[in-house]
Amino acid sequence: MTSYHKPDEKTLQGLKDVANKLRINSIKATCASNSGHPTSCCSAAELMSVLFFHTMRYKADDPRNQCNDRFVLSKKLAFVDVATGSLGQGLGAACGMAYTGKYFDKSSYRVYCMLGDGECSEGSVWEAMAFASYYKLDNLVAIMDVNRLGQSEPAPLQHDMETYRKRCEAFGWNTYVVDGHDVEELCKAFWQAQQVKDKPTCIVAKTFKGKGLKNIEDFENWHGKPIPKDRVDDVLNDLRALIQVPNKTLSPQLPANDAAPVDLSRPITLPSPPAYKKGDKIATRRAYGVALAKMGQASQRVVALDGDTKNSTFSDMFKKAFPDRYIECFIAEQNMVGVAIGCATRDRTVAFASTFAAFLSRAYDQIRMGAISQTNVNLVGSHCGVSIGEDGPSQMALEDLAMFRAIPTCTVFYPSDGVSTERAVELAANTQGICFIRTSRPDTAVIYSPDEKLEIGVAKVVKQSDNDCVTVIGAGVTLHEALAAADILARKNIRVIDPFTIKPLDAGTIVSSAKATRGHIITVEDHYKEGGLGEAVLSAVATEPGIIVTRLAVTGVPRSGKPQELLDLYGISAKHIANAVRQTFAN
Amino acid sequence: MEDYHKPDQQTIQVLRNIANRLRIYCIKATTAAGHGHPTSCCSVAEIMSVLFFHTMRYRPEDPRHYNNDRFLLAKGHAAPALYSMWVETGFLKESEMFSLCQADSSHESHTMHKQHFVEVAHGFLGQGLGVACGMAYTGKYFDKSSYRVFCLMGDGEMSEGSVWEAMSFASYYQLDNLVAILDINRQGQSDTAPLQHHVDKYYKRLEAFGWHAIIVDGHSVEELCKALSQPRHQPTAIIAKTVKGKGIPAAEDKQGWHAKPLPKDMAEMVVKDWQSRITNTSKHLYPSAPIEDSPPVSLRNIRMPSAPSYKAGEKISTRKAYGMALAKLGRYYERVVALDGDTNNLTYSEIFKNEHPNRFVECYVAQQNMVSVAVGCAARDRNLVFASTLSSFFTRAHDQLRMAAMSESNIKLCGSHCGLSSGEEGPSLMGLEDFAMFRALPSSTVFYPSDGVTTEKALDLAATTKGLCYIRTSRHDCPIIYNSNEDFHVGQAKVVYQSKDDQVTVVAAGMMIHEALAAAEHLKKERISIRIIDPFTIKPLDYKTIIDHGRATRGRVLTVEDHYYEGGLGEALSSVMVNEQGFNLHCLAVSQVPRSGKPHELLKIYGIDRDAIAQAVRKLMSSSTNAK
Repeated sequence: MTSYHKPDEKTLQGLKDVANKLRINSIKATCASNSGHPTSCCSAAELMSVLFFHTMRYKADDPRNQCNDRFVLSKKLAFVDVATGSLGQGLGAACGMAYTGKYFDKSSYRVYCMLGDGECSEGSVWEAMAFASYYKLDNLVAIMDVNRLGQSEPAPLQHDMETYRKRCEAFGWNTYVVDGHDVEELCKAFWQAQQVKDKPTCIVAKTFKGKGLKNIEDFENWHGKPIPKDRVDDVLNDLRALIQVPNKTLSPQLPANDAAPVDLSRPITLPSPPAYKKGDKIATRRAYGVALAKMGQASQRVVALDGDTKNSTFSDMFKKAFPDRYIECFIAEQNMVGVAIGCATRDRTVAFASTFAAFLSRAYDQIRMGAISQTNVNLVGSHCGVSIGEDGPSQMALEDLAMFRAIPTCTVFYPSDGVSTERAVELAANTQGICFIRTSRPDTAVIYSPDEKLEIGVAKVVKQSDNDCVTVIGAGVTLHEALAAADILARKNIRVIDPFTIKPLDAGTIVSSAKATRGHIITVEDHYKEGGLGEAVLSAVATEPGIIVTRLAVTGVPRSGKPQELLDLYGISAKHIANAVRQTFAN
Repeated sequence: MEDYHKPDQQTIQVLRNIANRLRIYCIKATTAAGHGHPTSCCSVAEIMSVLFFHTMRYRPEDPRHYNNDRFLLAKGHAAPALYSMWVETGFLKESEMFSLCQADSSHESHTMHKQHFVEVAHGFLGQGLGVACGMAYTGKYFDKSSYRVFCLMGDGEMSEGSVWEAMSFASYYQLDNLVAILDINRQGQSDTAPLQHHVDKYYKRLEAFGWHAIIVDGHSVEELCKALSQPRHQPTAIIAKTVKGKGIPAAEDKQGWHAKPLPKDMAEMVVKDWQSRITNTSKHLYPSAPIEDSPPVSLRNIRMPSAPSYKAGEKISTRKAYGMALAKLGRYYERVVALDGDTNNLTYSEIFKNEHPNRFVECYVAQQNMVSVAVGCAARDRNLVFASTLSSFFTRAHDQLRMAAMSESNIKLCGSHCGLSSGEEGPSLMGLEDFAMFRALPSSTVFYPSDGVTTEKALDLAATTKGLCYIRTSRHDCPIIYNSNEDFHVGQAKVVYQSKDDQVTVVAAGMMIHEALAAAEHLKKERISIRIIDPFTIKPLDYKTIIDHGRATRGRVLTVEDHYYEGGLGEALSSVMVNEQGFNLHCLAVSQVPRSGKPHELLKIYGIDRDAIAQAVRKLMSSSTNAK
């Protein structure tokens, strides 16, 4: 085993100087913009200096090189690989990067994540802590900057370093409590972390907010506040006096070049067309599993995650085919999404994460932040709507379309059969931004032939004739209900549209169909009225004259029951569609 | 310190009998229903028996009495186990329990609040403990009463971070009246739980989070009785090592039996076996009566005692007006309590905190837990709860909000720093999807006040409106536009600006109404007059007023909102406008992830400022010939 060599005095002084230069720059920058967190930057100055100029290995001229060590700044300071600022999310993403480094890239790069103490109250941090130790991520180092002061008051544990240590150790981490302003102690702790096998390391650093700033250090009420103008010069002069070698530059170590480049620019295509025949019965959730396993065959870089629901979402089909590329995230949806985002950074993987659509509400903040950092992650929610039946309303996703539609950059797929599910998975793998695929529990008939071309933002007219009088738009189970309604109404002709993607929505096809059917549209969805398919259609046709839209959707908290009974009870079954059509004719 | 008296052999035997009868009820009921989680019920049989017939104090004939000990079934899929206990107490008939488990009954297979003995809708993993924390906090600090709170959790849900938020909360506030029982049965839904049967690891984690942890054999009635009788100075966790499907030979500790009822013949065999194990005894156990030391509470008619005292033209941000109004309401009603997540100096709940420190609960940076604690504090109508943080941070608690709505929980939430007008803090702190989220919660009411007066009115109305209410507030100061005596109602819009020859109706709220007013002044110079409507509540939305006025402006309606297009005001209005003839609706909203900057710059860049409104008005007028 290598032994630790203390850095020489000159290096240590250089690191101290860098820390003070950081303080000076952060004060100047925040004064200039009149907003920001100079006091938080000051508590982390030595940590940043040692990390960036002593511990981490990276190419300074190529910060996003795949071989570089990763740095995730979870506390609200700046922007690195993932948008931060919403608290407690950095460590999950760091876990995804570390998992990728260790198990997919099998490379030596390491991942460093800096957390604030305030955000340690977020449960998502402890989901990530449990994940990292479970998967023995010894290439991951978390640095807790325990500066005691939060946004509105001291953090709950204040400077109780022993409790932090106990919690981290109990969650399976190798833990060091250090003085966060002592560069020598930090150099040593980071070195030790590199020697530890099979455990992630947490450096719990006792720091002082506003360290080095006269009359500000460790006082409350300075969070998020720039230094007042009349005091800036004093504070800066104090700091400048501490710098001994102003012009010395330290260079970081270079990384080992052992992470192979990955080219995700070429499309990943299904190795064979969907193997379904029209009329075959298959649930879209199962078709997802089939499709994902096929995509796994198409590219080594396709990986899957799930939150202890793989036998329900059918991601277990992928797991069986490619066990090394499946990550079980257990019942921790926030962390699952965080890990998926981490896996997808720097285009290392094409990640698909699945669970019940209802459970993705657990990770709405992570998804929202994913959009802000322009992540490429694919989320799959099964068991949508009342059609899941007996499991009850807590498991029924009835607001997921509202949730995902309001995410900028998000593409929302709502496939209605096996073929379109398989194409949705293929398209999602190749679409930038966040993709959401909504799958259903009941078996439904395959309606498309394997060579049917499906595109984002292009709706399919599934049934039509020359004298249709109303356009019915359904998706998932309700598309099949609409087709059944067409059979009930044999003598009244209705046109049936499958939007395929709810966002973007194919306004053109919808409007032209509506015009061809006397302006009558009926939307039917296994979702609440608010924010779903109906509202999406309404905003698409809002500026078109002469269109009347009838909406069928779920209202109130549903109860459990048999799927078909519930579709009936909540007014979205074939019978109700038929009635709505008759109503339209009556008017 | 009180000494522990071991229960006599007969008592032990009766408790065992009850546990076995629980198994029998659960197997029979789930097999009959063809649905349910019998194996999850079997692992908690002894725990339930000891809790309900040895440990807890309650009135069996009045399950929701406020002096009773509280019981929360966090692992809601074990609902039949809970029903069984109420069969044992005599509150339910066995046949009623069977119908409870029938999927087509009027109840849920995951326990629903509607039953007398269920506090909140379950089936939401990892949320029970937070609710239990709210109840325990209420018991200890608000009711100052001796009732205790018991929460039964599964091991799978221990992976949820929300559990650890609740764990830190409970120890921080020394909730020694709170007991969590962890059913460590090792098996999850699709896999074994990550810590399997390593009870020592659970022990270390719980101790590190400040709990007194006790490891027991979860099928030993004696061990459970003893552990649950220990004196407490901090929250207690009973780590019960159990076997999933205990007592069902084919399913014991086996993967693949989650959520599966037993086939009929197997069920009959198993039931017969258990019946043979139940020994006759003359002893009957009754739950202990509760100590009657909670004050009765009435939350009826909590109304703001006086009109707002703002003067026209005075400037105040709606977030500050929220804090002032809350403090004012708190002055008159001691059951008004406030929660915040380390943002009280941003949301201004600190005004309440400063005035009523004993009724303010700091929840730190743990929004999921804050919402759950709010639900717990509001349970059994003990408190009128207001919880606040930044509107964007409520996305963190979306699942908790779903649960609150399904439980018909009467909580009031306030989200500050909505929209682009938060400015410099950057997009992560801008609430731009909160309407989409809150509108899609069943039975929610969504307020969007535009000045100090409407903020106070919103809070006043939220206090008397049943169910989940959300108040959206803004960061920056804006002038008072309403008279203090103005009357407001949920679902009633206000016309804030009009003349008889208005040409376009503009619907706006929050900061946008002030932009609209500025646009109106500007357009006046071009001899274009517009009508401005403040919807006040976004859900329910006052369609009628908007349509009536829209008609008066020849069908030309413009909405403008500091929110994304999806799920916001514009879409809410589209829903009805589309079927009205002769309307031309145009919506202005934010269409992409914004950057940070000064508020007025951002409003301009993303096209929702006064100039954009004026421009859209002109456009609507020029295209009016195309109106429907």
